[in-house]
Amino acid sequence: MEILAQLIVSGIALGMIYAVIAFGYQLTFATSSTLNFGQGEALMLGALVGLSLVGYMNYWLMIPLVLIFGAMQGVFVERVAVLPALKTKSEFGWIMTTISLAIIFKNVAENIWGRDDLTFPSPLPTSPLQFFGIRVLPMEILVVFGALAIMLAVEIFNRKSIYGKAVVATSNDRDAAGLMGINTGMVITFSYALSSMTAAFAGVLVAPLTLTGATMGVVLGLKAFAVAIIGGLNSGMGVIVGGLLLGIAETTTGYYISTGYKDVPGLFLLLLVLAIKPAGMFGKSVIKKV
Amino acid sequence: MLEIQNLHAAYGKVEVLHGISLEVPKGKVVTLIGSNGAGKTTTMRAISGMIKPASGRLSLNGIDITGMSSNKIARSGLAHSPEGRRVFATLSVTDNLLLGAFPRLTFGRPRGDVEGDLKRIFDLFPRLKERENQLAGTLSGGEQQMLAMGRALMLNPDVLLLDEPSMGLAPLLVEEVFRIIRELKSRGITMLLVEQFAAAALNVADYGYVLENGHISVHGPAEQLKNDPAVREAYLGAAH
Repeated sequence: MEILAQLIVSGIALGMIYAVIAFGYQLTFATSSTLNFGQGEALMLGALVGLSLVGYMNYWLMIPLVLIFGAMQGVFVERVAVLPALKTKSEFGWIMTTISLAIIFKNVAENIWGRDDLTFPSPLPTSPLQFFGIRVLPMEILVVFGALAIMLAVEIFNRKSIYGKAVVATSNDRDAAGLMGINTGMVITFSYALSSMTAAFAGVLVAPLTLTGATMGVVLGLKAFAVAIIGGLNSGMGVIVGGLLLGIAETTTGYYISTGYKDVPGLFLLLLVLAIKPAGMFGKSVIKKV
Repeated sequence: MLEIQNLHAAYGKVEVLHGISLEVPKGKVVTLIGSNGAGKTTTMRAISGMIKPASGRLSLNGIDITGMSSNKIARSGLAHSPEGRRVFATLSVTDNLLLGAFPRLTFGRPRGDVEGDLKRIFDLFPRLKERENQLAGTLSGGEQQMLAMGRALMLNPDVLLLDEPSMGLAPLLVEEVFRIIRELKSRGITMLLVEQFAAAALNVADYGYVLENGHISVHGPAEQLKNDPAVREAYLGAAH
């Protein structure tokens, strides 16, 4: 029982990382119906830039700089890969262009930071805390609260500020939003900035818990994509539940069955959701008018 | 005021508007009538920048707005209540109205008294006040129409485009919509009205244009059009 609780706790920290990345997928999908398939690479770049910066400053000061870097990286992705596809009304062009950019980012990172995995110094004590016999790393607690904080911040911005409402209006009906005087092109660019920013933030949160390197984003990005599909591409609650399910499924399977099979339940869940409720567990199906 | 000269518009290679010229003078209500598919909504969409005109010239208050994006045209003072209402379903009634004032709350239009205007919109549409915190998607069709009109008014526009405000509404609500249009007219709001109920539209308007297959076939003061035998035959029902 204690082991199970331990596995669940570790799964929660992992799941929240998936949730934040999946949340980033949702941000751009809402405004433009496009996704950045380089979301994992945005995370990786955030972590590596953060790693370089912590050489000069402490972890907490580094975070805002990484957030700025992430936002700029998102703007770059949107301008270079997504905007041309949206302009030519290419239905699927953005899939190839964002994947290509992701590969380029990975190669650039390999050239700058090398191919080996690096260790990210932990800003918090690395000895676990004990709660009723369950060991929790302080960094895991930070991951959970940091992830919740950034999602909550975006949600509050969307609900309370007029600019946030403009983002929601653009997600609702882009043409009608334009009639309100909202520059919807800017809103889409902004959503990309925000999306990569959350991924970069997830990167510096997860980096001290894992190995940091150019390839760290590939698997995380893919699994978070599964989470976004499982939870629903338009449901904030969905990504958290989906992320936690996948995270816990991984840690428990890894322990009770074999680490080799740890990805199976998540992918099985993905197939199940796609077969039964393709809009996602919490997703609202949208009927597209033609 | 709004001036349109020789406007051509196309969807892909198919030209829908073949050179339309019309004028909406300040403080006047102008109506554009015509059968389905004549190009009424396309004209509205081309004016507000939802589609780019193929050629022609649009000017608002003497400023050339041809080819501008819809958000810039809105900031120049043109509000468009589109066909099909297009309210923001997942936002509250109040948020929808506030977004109508987006350029005033951010930049591009003088702020003025946004809170006061919101109150005045609620006075004009008491049903919206009752539902101010409800999500727009849960409103009835008539309420959504009121919201779309109120939202457009929140811009404090120099010119208001109303596209089929009575579409799909019950007869009582159609009357209510026309009562509001008359009220707006008495407040001196400049309007371009597209309507399927040609008779009602000509009753409220000062001037009318008849659109036929992408051309203006007849135009003149509303009184005159109402008595024009050809217009009566085609749009007002000859028996009346």
